[in-house]
Order: sequence, then structure tokens, then C-alpha cells
Amino acid sequence: MDIPPANITQTESSGTRDRTASVAKGIAPETELGPESRLLSEMLGEELWRVSGAELVEVSKAEFAGALETIGARDNFGLDPERRANERQRETFWRALHLEELAIARGCALGRESAWRRFLAQYQEQLTRAAVEMTGSAALGEELASALYSELFGLTEREGRRWSPLLRYSGRGSLMGWLRAVLAQRRVNQYRKLGRETALGEIEPAAAVSEQLELERLEDLRVAIKMTLSEASAEERFLLSAYYLDQHTLHEMSRVLRVHEATVSRKLKRATERLRKRLLRTLRARGLSRRGAEEALGTDPRDVDLNLGKLLQKSEGDSIPDKEGQV
Amino acid sequence: MNRNLQPGIHPDADKLSVFIEGAATAREQEWMLGHLAECAECRKAVFLMQPHEEIERATATPVRGWVWRRLVPIGLPAAAIACGLIAFFIYLRPHGSGAPNPQQIASVRQPEIEHPRTTIAPAINSERVAQSGGPQGSFAPGAAATDVSRRKNLVAGGSNLPALKKSDRATATLAASETSAGPPSGSVRAADAARVPSSNGTVNASELPFHGRNVTNDEQLSTPADTKGVASQNSLVMKKDLPALQIHRASGQVETLAGVSGRITDRSGAIISGATVTLRDAAGKARETTTGADGSFHLTGLPAGPYELMATARGFSTSKQSLDLKPSELAMLQPKLDVGAASEQVTVEVENGAQTVETESAGLGGQVTAEMSSAGRAIPMPSGLMVPATVSHGKKFLSLDGTGNLFLSRNGGKKWKKVNPQWAGMAVRIELTPAYTSEASPKAKNETSAPASEGAVFQLTTDTGAVWNSKDGAHWYQR
Repeated sequence: MDIPPANITQTESSGTRDRTASVAKGIAPETELGPESRLLSEMLGEELWRVSGAELVEVSKAEFAGALETIGARDNFGLDPERRANERQRETFWRALHLEELAIARGCALGRESAWRRFLAQYQEQLTRAAVEMTGSAALGEELASALYSELFGLTEREGRRWSPLLRYSGRGSLMGWLRAVLAQRRVNQYRKLGRETALGEIEPAAAVSEQLELERLEDLRVAIKMTLSEASAEERFLLSAYYLDQHTLHEMSRVLRVHEATVSRKLKRATERLRKRLLRTLRARGLSRRGAEEALGTDPRDVDLNLGKLLQKSEGDSIPDKEGQV
Repeated sequence: MNRNLQPGIHPDADKLSVFIEGAATAREQEWMLGHLAECAECRKAVFLMQPHEEIERATATPVRGWVWRRLVPIGLPAAAIACGLIAFFIYLRPHGSGAPNPQQIASVRQPEIEHPRTTIAPAINSERVAQSGGPQGSFAPGAAATDVSRRKNLVAGGSNLPALKKSDRATATLAASETSAGPPSGSVRAADAARVPSSNGTVNASELPFHGRNVTNDEQLSTPADTKGVASQNSLVMKKDLPALQIHRASGQVETLAGVSGRITDRSGAIISGATVTLRDAAGKARETTTGADGSFHLTGLPAGPYELMATARGFSTSKQSLDLKPSELAMLQPKLDVGAASEQVTVEVENGAQTVETESAGLGGQVTAEMSSAGRAIPMPSGLMVPATVSHGKKFLSLDGTGNLFLSRNGGKKWKKVNPQWAGMAVRIELTPAYTSEASPKAKNETSAPASEGAVFQLTTDTGAVWNSKDGAHWYQR
């Protein structure tokens, strides 16, 4: 297979830009590396290069070392942005990477034939199967997988140059996990393009709620929800959203959070109770009587969860603060 | 960032995969959760990333995960009860497995072990027991079965109980030989043994009744369970027809000494207490003992060889029997005596009305089980204390414990009732009036010529020396 190599000049230069940008964001000066002073020592670089099997996928020592340094600088070696990584922390970070898979990804991004052979041998079948699972259809799945292949091959261009998403693979997770994430994102994009009207229709229950409530009370409720959700932790908000809005099961949520199903249930119940109490308190603080506050949430306890779900859905978009720029 | 999604606000695939695989830092995790809470697209992508499996859908509620917690209030007590039962059975098991069943007890005997160094005076008390090395020092360990099997013979039928008094001669005999006297079978704790009136002479331990009983601790003698066991074993023995001569070979121990044990009855099977048993070896050397209240006798520490056993009792003809003892064997005999002269009595009395002595048990450091048996069934005394004296007339039993309490049974020892003291001071002795002392138990049922003029049957002496009489055991008047 003769695969045209993606233009990695951009990658290298983007790595430099990343480092420059990192410095601009406050990353330690010593992470700013010139060509003459590398963070990765030759000895360690060679050792990691050998361990990764990069030679088998035609990735040179310099290419692999550059990838490691770029990844380390981009993620600040797994530390908080305000902290500097010492030599030991850097080595620990690099050694914890999926080096073999990183070498394959880099080899593929560089258009090395041996790398693609290994990639296809190891991941083609899994990737196709994952795509079929996500789409629920063999035809759609294969179509999704083919589209991703072409993208991975570097057939897309950025600023007039070919670019492969594999360059974004850091090796901190498994390559298959990364591929599944890319597939899922592409699938979500497809879904968004195809189902905008449907998504709008999903808000209909909230409209029903709004019909039942007076405008003033609805406004109070929106404000209360906004305040309450801003006080909730990220995990609580995720649990509430995934459970009440997306209707995911506890089992699915437990797999995402990597905890036991019972733990998710317990956390969700606590979050729901806390949210309800805060909402009541907030509503009463805004002048509603206790009875009025409870009516706003739904006096029937059996409807509380459902009503909360509707309220959360209604709050979506305008009540949750925009997180843009936090990445 | 992902270009296809809204730019700038969505994590790229690398961050999503790192989050899903748990490789994200705490900060990244927090940020990702916050974003996922707000971003439906990324939430969808995250859940899509999960490998496919059969998903249970929509039926889940937050309460579902708490089902197992609801079982805790039920499960924990159940587990605790189960553990308690297991512990209880474990606790019982050693006792149950350690003690042989009655049939085993009835047929298996441990060899008697000689302890010639131990010498205990008949006036047994705790000090002397201690000097002699104490009960545990005197007995071979691990032979509870022997003890139990022996004790089973101590509890006799109610017909044998009236033979309670002891004369001087009998006392000497009791002290010098292996005798189990006193109606309530049981044993006397070494500490309690101080109450037992002393007598004369010093007896070699090999001749003492407790020799070779291999009692290792008091519990073997004094626990209620053991007492019940003795009672049941006694019942078994009472029902069991023993052959005239049974020789059981002891197993597992190498002993050169033998022993003889048995029970003397008349032709009707009635037990004869107080009978004298003499065992004479080929050289003419004799060993003598008297039967206890249950008619049993025990002679141990005997060298192997031929012996002649002679049993005599007042009112009965003498029975002679030859036997050949082999090492480590215990011969079990049941001589049957023919009725002899009607004037003879089988009575054991103690001078000055001294308390009944359970000589055999006293040396064992045991505890008085204070039990009466009328039909082979052990009945505990109400006070649970030592019973130094018990007398009977017909089915009426009177027992006097160590604290002066008097108990009356009108049904042969099945039920006991405390007699309200109508006398001043503490009762120290209970006996039949002289008119009735000649009534031996086996003949009591047939005795119809009781002097009605005298009336009184029971006689009680207090610590002040006052003598009280009673016809029925419940109502007393001072003589």
C-alpha cells in the first residue's frame, strides 16, 4: 500500500507553536525548548524508542523523540498548568504512555507503510465492528469506518496541507479507545446533521411544563435552577444530565465513570435530593411560599424526578455557564 | 478541539479516550465532567464510545441499587444467628464427641492404673488431698469413660436407699475399703470433703475407691450434663442383663494390673447394699470391700492371677465365685445371693449418727450432685447442696443438706419439697426411729408390722441436741 505521507512539517511546527502557546499560557520556561536543548535525554529517548518498537514502523528516533516532547509539553506532563515537571516526572509521564501504539499512530501519520500494515492488522476489524455498534447498522457502520479511514490516511487538508487526526493521539489512552472516541464524535456529527428537527422536538415536554406554570413562576424557577446547578459539582451535574436528560441507565453511567452501579445510584439519589432541597430553598428565598415552591417542583413526590428532568432540560443552554476556552 | 463539533468547546478524541480509560488527571476529570454535564453531544459521544453489550434499558431507578442494602437488616441478624448456632454446635461438639455414648460406656472400660505413691487417709479433706498430689495428680488422665461407667453404678434404684446408717464397724470398713455409701450418689468436692467425719487408719491409694478412675477435673463429675449422663447410663445398666462374668479387655493402654467390678443382687434382681465382698488370691491374701447403695463394688489394682470372690450380706447366703484375672482386664461380676436368715439386716450405720459418707467420691475432689434416684433417674435436690444424710420409709424420702435444710419426697425421690423447720437451731442429723431402723429397703415394701404405737418414723436431731420425731416427715414434734 502506497500511502502518501501526511505533511508533518505542520505537526512539528504546530508542536513548536504549542510550546510557544504553552509558554504564553504560563507553562514553565524550562518547558520551552529550543532545538539545542531537549527535555528528553538521548539515553531515555533511545530506550523509549526501542521499547515502543518505533523502528518496526519506520519511525526514527528523532521523530519519536519529537512526538514525545510535543505530547509532554501539550499536557504539561500530566500536571496542573501552574506546576513545572521535573526530570523524574517527565520520565514517569513518558514511560506511562502507550508507546507501542503511539509509534504506530505516528508511523501512520507519517505515511509509513509498515505502520499502516500493523494498524490495519490490529485495528481494522475492531474499528469496523465499533462503527457498526455505534450506528446499529452494518451499512452505516462500514460507511462511518470508511470515512474515518480516509480521514486517518490524511486525505483531508488543513491550510492547504494534508493532515491526519492520528497526530493528535497522545498515547495516554489506548489507540483503540482513541479510535472509538473519534468514531463516536463522527457519529454524533452525523446525528446532529441529520436530526436537528428531532432534537428540537425533544424539548417539547419542557414546553408542556411551561404551559402549566405561570410566567412569573417559570422565571423564578429558571433562576433557581441556574443558581442551584451552579452550586452543584461537575459530577452531580453530569449524573443529572445523563440520567434525566439522556435517559441513560445506571449501568451505562457506571461504565463511563468506572465505578460500581450501586455507587452511581447512591450518588444520583443524593444529587437529586440535594438539588430538590436547594431548589426549594432558592424558590422560597425568592418569595415563594413553601407550598408554592413545592407546587413549582410538583407536589406529588412521584413526579418530582420527572419534573426535575423537565426542568433540567429546560435549563439546558441558557442556565449552564459557557465553558468555552477552558480546554 | 474537534472541528466538526462546535469549535472551541468540545474536547478532542484524545481527551475523551483518556477520560474514559481513567487516565485523566483529577483536574481533567473535573473539567470533563463539567463539560459533559452541559454538552449533550459529548455526552452522547462518551456513551457511544462504550463497547457494545446487552444494555438493560430504562427500568433502572436510583432505588434499584439499594435493593441489596434493604437485605442488610434481615441478612445481618440471620448471619449472626447462624454464626451463633455454629459456635454453639462447635462448643457442644467436643463434649458430645469426647464422651462415649452409654452403650460404649457400658461395654468399654479403661484399665485401672495403680498409683502406689499416693496415700490418703480415710479422713479425707482437702489438705490431705493436696498433700497426696491432689486428685489430678492421683489419677491417670483421659479416662472419663471409666469414671462415668463406674459412676453409673453408684445410682441405684430407690429400693436401696434406706440403707443409710452406718455403724462403727461399717465406717471402718468403708474407710478401709472401696465402698460407695450414702443414698444420693455423687461425689464430694475436695473442699467439701472436710465435712466428712474422719475415721481411723490409712489406706493405700490403690485401695481407695477413686483409684484408677482417671478423673482429670471436677467438671467430669459435677456438671449437670454429666449427672444426667450417669443417670441415663444407670438406667441402661439397670435394664441391661449382665452376664455372670464379663471380662472386657481394655484397649490402647499397657497395664499389668487388673480389677474387679460388679453389683450384688438377690435372685429377684434387687440390689443388695452393704454386702461384703472379699477377693482372695491364690496365696490367700484378701482384699475386701462392701457394696455401695447401688449394690456395686470395685476392686482395682489387682495383680493378674486366679482369685476367689466371696460375697456376703446379712440375711443372704454367701456366694463364692472363682475368676482368673488377666493383665489390664476388668472383670465385671454380678453375684446373686440367695435369701438367708430373716433376722439378718443389711444396714450400715455410723456412730453418733454421723453424716453419710460418700467415701469414694470424696477423694475425687468432686461435688455432691445431690441427686436421688428411685427408678434409675437422677433427680437433683432443690438446694443443690451436699446431702450428707438421707433416710427413707416406703416412698417417703427425707434428705438433709449441709446447711440444715430438710427436704421431703413422697414419691420416691421424684419431687422434693422443703420442710419448714419447726425446730430451733439447725438440723444436723436425720434418721429413722429405732423402731424402723431395722427395715431394710428391699423388705420395706413387705414390712407391715411397724409398731403403730410409736408412730414416729423419722427422727431429727438439731445442733442443740434436741430430738424431733415425725410420722410423715412434714410434721414434727419434739420428743
